[in-house]
Amino acid sequence: MMELYELGVREIVEGIREKRFSALEVFDECLGRALACEGKVSALITATADTGRAHARQIDGYVAKGEPLGPLAGVPVILKDNICTHGIRTTAGSRILGRWAPPYSATVWDLLSSAGAVLLGKSNMDEFAMGNTCGTSAFGPTANPWDVSRVPGGSSGGSAASVAAGYVPFALGSDTGGSIRQPASYCGIFGLKPTYGLVSRYGLIAYGSSLDQIGPFTRSVEDMELIMHVLARHDPKDSTSVDKSEIDFTRRESKGEKPLKGKRVALVKEFQDFTLDPPIADAIKRLIRIFEEMGAEIAQVSLPTVARYAVACYYAIAASEAHTNLARFDGVRYGYTVTTAAGLRDMFEEVRSKGFGAEVKSRIIAGTCLTEPVRSEEYYVAATRVRTLIAEEFRKAFENVDCILQPVTPSLPGKIGESDEDAMKGYESDLYTLPVNMAGLPGFSFCTGYSDSGLPVGLQLVGPRWSDKNLLNMGFELEKVLGAPKIARGGN
Amino acid sequence: MKLGSDDVRAIAAEARLSLTDTELAGAVRYINNFLDMVDRFKELDLKNVEPFCFAETNVCPLREDLPAAFTRSEEILADRADGTGAFFKVPRIMEE
Amino acid sequence: MPDKTTLTFTPVIGIEIHIHLKTKSKVFCSCSADYTNDEPNSHICPVCMGLPGSMPVLNKAVVQQGMLAGMALNCTVQPTTYFFRKCYFYPDLPKNYQITQSDLPIAANGWLEIDDDAGNPKKIRINRLHLEEDAGKLHHSAADGRLEGAETSWVDYNRSGLPLAEIVSEPDVSSAREAVEYVTALRRRVRYAGASDADLEKGMMRFDANVSVKCSDGRWGRRVEVKNMNSFRALERAIEYEIKRQSKVLAEGGEVLQETRHWNDAKGTTTASRVKEFYRKFIVEPDLPPLVVSPQWVEEVRGMLPEMPNEKALRYKEMGLSEVDAGVLADSIDVAQYFEACVAAGANPLRAGNWVRTEVLRAVNDKQVGVTDLAVKPDTLAELIRRIDEGKLSTTLAKNVFEGLLEGLSLDEAVKKSGAAEGGVDANALENLVRATIEANPDVIGEIRSGKDTKGKKVKFLQGLVMRETKGQARPDEVAAAIESAIENLK
Repeated sequence: MMELYELGVREIVEGIREKRFSALEVFDECLGRALACEGKVSALITATADTGRAHARQIDGYVAKGEPLGPLAGVPVILKDNICTHGIRTTAGSRILGRWAPPYSATVWDLLSSAGAVLLGKSNMDEFAMGNTCGTSAFGPTANPWDVSRVPGGSSGGSAASVAAGYVPFALGSDTGGSIRQPASYCGIFGLKPTYGLVSRYGLIAYGSSLDQIGPFTRSVEDMELIMHVLARHDPKDSTSVDKSEIDFTRRESKGEKPLKGKRVALVKEFQDFTLDPPIADAIKRLIRIFEEMGAEIAQVSLPTVARYAVACYYAIAASEAHTNLARFDGVRYGYTVTTAAGLRDMFEEVRSKGFGAEVKSRIIAGTCLTEPVRSEEYYVAATRVRTLIAEEFRKAFENVDCILQPVTPSLPGKIGESDEDAMKGYESDLYTLPVNMAGLPGFSFCTGYSDSGLPVGLQLVGPRWSDKNLLNMGFELEKVLGAPKIARGGN
Repeated sequence: MKLGSDDVRAIAAEARLSLTDTELAGAVRYINNFLDMVDRFKELDLKNVEPFCFAETNVCPLREDLPAAFTRSEEILADRADGTGAFFKVPRIMEE
Repeated sequence: MPDKTTLTFTPVIGIEIHIHLKTKSKVFCSCSADYTNDEPNSHICPVCMGLPGSMPVLNKAVVQQGMLAGMALNCTVQPTTYFFRKCYFYPDLPKNYQITQSDLPIAANGWLEIDDDAGNPKKIRINRLHLEEDAGKLHHSAADGRLEGAETSWVDYNRSGLPLAEIVSEPDVSSAREAVEYVTALRRRVRYAGASDADLEKGMMRFDANVSVKCSDGRWGRRVEVKNMNSFRALERAIEYEIKRQSKVLAEGGEVLQETRHWNDAKGTTTASRVKEFYRKFIVEPDLPPLVVSPQWVEEVRGMLPEMPNEKALRYKEMGLSEVDAGVLADSIDVAQYFEACVAAGANPLRAGNWVRTEVLRAVNDKQVGVTDLAVKPDTLAELIRRIDEGKLSTTLAKNVFEGLLEGLSLDEAVKKSGAAEGGVDANALENLVRATIEANPDVIGEIRSGKDTKGKKVKFLQGLVMRETKGQARPDEVAAAIESAIENLK
């Protein structure tokens, strides 16, 4: 007998509709699971037990009266804490937001809640999404539910850990340079970074606005399709949102014995020179065989500019945009503030120096430095030009192939507290994820299995813009072969 | 060209950050490493390359000029540290 | 040391003007743009308060008004333009950056013609008109009305996010007087276009000036940006002050520093600002894709642009109006439209021009209302003028009728109230009246007949008597003709 918290999105929706269990029962079981793991995992900044239970009861009321139910009615969800939720504390993992409860909700939360999803909590994250371990959070680190001495990845580590440990069947994260795909990989679940513009960013506390994209974590591809069906909506409140209503995530063509026949899956030539942890290198070899068995053709693409310049280009652009996005935190209008400052400048400096953590301050300084009038052309503007070369290189690559198969990270999750002396070395480990954001592409991270040490081993598929559904369709076929991700022990 | 402590302190001040000596030492190291990283751009000939700023949307959508009040402005006001009156309070401005 | 007595200084001035564009809602959110009489911080939302996660959505009307204003200033509309984040920390700026088009503007390369100090026509080139958002408003508790020294400041964000156009001239202005003429002409044109009310008292138009001076010995002073002028008078005084200050520095062999100075209207001086304006930096606004205006839209907007004041004044002169009358009528589009409606309704242009310039504008001034709010509509005035022309009303009586119309009476009611009978005085009655008047004044007739009335004063006297008898209903020219013909008959 499966526990309710082990169920996926579709199973919960059907069970509630068929009155096999109530939304409140599901919520309480999930909450119970979360509380059982939280001591070791610390995936949540805020648990929304009361509002969530009230919402679940409301759903049960609709069921009892036979009123129409939304496509996600009664499904518990966790949102990364940089997604604004009206009346519910939203911190972005920072001290500087204090106890800020937004007076409005992000579009994605509006969409999910009107589809009937029930909020269970807000998840831990690297401060302002700057980090890949969840270790820069002002609320302390989150642990990997597969091995609580290890990091869950970041920045959406809390969301990934909570789905992996069975708190909820799905969660939302945001991905600026890998912040969905990398923790999904570390936690052994599915993570999708949609094409830039497919999901509204309105209400997402911005890090690098031209790179940020919200996406889901799930334990099955089918669940991910259900979530994307709700989220992929044009939003007039986000001027970079694109109307792609023609993409129907819920429809899938029936496949024969060779479901990927005619598909061309590429490996990146330049990436083959880089060292990978053996389980990851093995996974790639295994996946190549699986793809071939499913009828796909394995090809090669060359991305020399990506391989050499993407990391520098990414950090230059992300820092430049971030320092402007974070300029608004000054203690005047909302969030953390001080009342003792002698003058305005003192107040701004005190609020920001005490409110921001070290990594955020470093990146603000980097962004300020690169965009100084004397350096802007040389660094910031140059980075935007390099970005054109990167996007162009991908565009050409996808003229001949359907998707790229590549690692998410070069290594399996490290120990909590370990960090590189030189931050740039840590940044280099993002090479496989961040080029995707540079070009606004979709990236789909999936679990291929587990290493001998019991850690999940993930890989990702990257496709051309708007190929999100194709990636999920391939993911669906892969899931049949690889098996669905398991629920982690969560320190128990 | 490497940046020194004074340069970095000035950049931090521009961003309204004051750093402790330890933070400053770390920031100097960080920013110089960062500049080393982005100095790679100089290997490329970028003269005829357009800047990339927008992934897909290349036409700004326009909204009709229809006023609609935000109904929860009270909640915005409630976030003030000093919630008296209708204004947001700030300390003395010494810059000008 | 240069010889001060022989040195002369040539000012070189560029003007930056901020005007509020006339729209119903703010530039990037739906908050109402009309907050004049409302509580502080009552027109705020996540977007114009820069709350985390909020995003701007551009108001179409702002783009249109920007195009209109640009066209009114002879600018070319740019098909593709960008928005930037201009970064600086200030508490009236909720995001601590301003979204602005800066130097990739919606409109560029315009000009305005003014008269230079010698009275010759001179073109002031306009570099660009770009769109941006306004900041909130700071209030402060210092006694002398300055920010400096205030213990506390208070911020009202109602103005935050109001649409602004910044209009940057080339450094073609040579004196404070030219500056005032330039901004006056510019204000008239953007008001004409309907792009802005440019109400100075409401802070809808603000000025900065870039002033430098060149010394006759070849030395140049650096460019000084003078900020914070909110009236024509302040602009004029600030420029005059800066020219004098900079000339003195150069005359004494000193160097004029590149800096930003603030105009203090109360003290009549400028003081150096510690903020390094030129230091401000820009990144592309990633939340707003490029603004693209189609050629069709540009043409559509061009069709909405009314005839501009200079062209109107020229046309009025061709209609026979004096230069002064033409200028006055064309000064405001509402007055010009009132005048043109009058003419369109059949009024004689000369008389209509005269009536609008005198009676109508006086009434507008007395009542402190806009010409469009006046109880007398142009077609009514045209009818009144027609009756004067037809001899049914004298000018004097018509003015009484006009007073009645201002009170809201219909034309017939006003005529009745003035005591004038409808239809004037018929020819027979007039002839009898003239004869009686002549008989009653034999000595006057004698003087006229003896040829002493060379200036026609006596005839005018008789004319006045007859007019009085008719209670002003007769046509003065007819009366004069009747008197002359009667005297002729006496010969």
